[in-house]
Amino acid sequence: MGRRNELALLPKLPLLITESVDEFDAIRDAFEREIKPHGIIEQMYVHDVSCIVWEILRLRRCKVVIINSAFRKALQSLLKELLTDEDGYYAADETEALALAWFTDHAAKKQVSEILGRFELDESAIEAEAIRSSSADLELLDRMLTSLESRRDKALGCVAEYRASLARQLRESADRIIDDNDVLRLEHPSSKRPTAA
Amino acid sequence: MASERQIAANRRNARKSTGPRSGAGRKRASHNAFCHGLTLSITSTAAFAKHLDRLVRKIAGDSEEAIVLERARAVAQAELELARVRRTKVALIERASAFGELDPPRLTVTQMIRLLNAFDRGRLIVPKPLDASATMPSQEPHRSAEAVRRVLPELRKLDRYERRAAARRDRAVLNLSDRMKSLNNL
Repeated sequence: MGRRNELALLPKLPLLITESVDEFDAIRDAFEREIKPHGIIEQMYVHDVSCIVWEILRLRRCKVVIINSAFRKALQSLLKELLTDEDGYYAADETEALALAWFTDHAAKKQVSEILGRFELDESAIEAEAIRSSSADLELLDRMLTSLESRRDKALGCVAEYRASLARQLRESADRIIDDNDVLRLEHPSSKRPTAA
Repeated sequence: MASERQIAANRRNARKSTGPRSGAGRKRASHNAFCHGLTLSITSTAAFAKHLDRLVRKIAGDSEEAIVLERARAVAQAELELARVRRTKVALIERASAFGELDPPRLTVTQMIRLLNAFDRGRLIVPKPLDASATMPSQEPHRSAEAVRRVLPELRKLDRYERRAAARRDRAVLNLSDRMKSLNNL
């Protein structure tokens, strides 16, 4: 009941309409199982870590899609470079068609491999060109990912620090109670014998 | 370095321009530095203020001590600010996904030249601005990824605000924890 109350008070992470609430809840539950938060502050940090991890996953997905989306143009540009003759001519339509067919047609894939092989290249050259052409976006994404990862680690460190501070506080309180002279001392009934005058 | 004469001329020129004079002009100029509103205090909206109060009570627990309440308020405020930046990020991505870009569609240079040429010939044409949403991929996850890619510079700027709010929250938690500790030692 307490946990539910605390979660209701914490601001919800807004998700994109294409993202799943259940998947986010699963991530938060997994962190809760690992960290076992006590109280609203620890709950807040767990929520923060879950939000950061969710955003990291979103950006990582985005990074992969950006590279994959750049593949066709990368292949086109690579083929253009490799197939341009000395007069500066290349068959633009054929190159475009070949680049498009490479994704679905086995024969086109083989043909592209042959062309690349002539220049001692392989398919990794396509990926390299795709990464190169989207490097400005990838650099920004990487910076954001680095920043998020450092914030995630800091938030985890804060949970540990807060918990250690709370533990220290409780230990000190317990020690003080034990040492305190005013604490009611329970006496054994047998000690309450009338003493001789 | 500017000479005495240049400095005097600058001062004379500056006196000629003292900003907007009309009420409407002054009101408009007062929003000159307004970019996104993220530096605005969250307590300025009633709904947030109510949520903030409930969160403060929860963080402070049973304590009625003024300093504890004030520090709990700092924690809650930073937490809600963090949430606000996150909401802004998602809203920007959603907007780019729906419309293709954040700014309203503008004319391309070619369209502007055509417009001017037609105007010179005494004709008036109504050019259709480029529809950015038409350049968005139609399927997921490509559409969302493209939307994120298009708003990356804005997201990077928001990241700064997010980090600042998180740092403020962490500091506030430490302060609260210290206060609780000193109260326990009394």
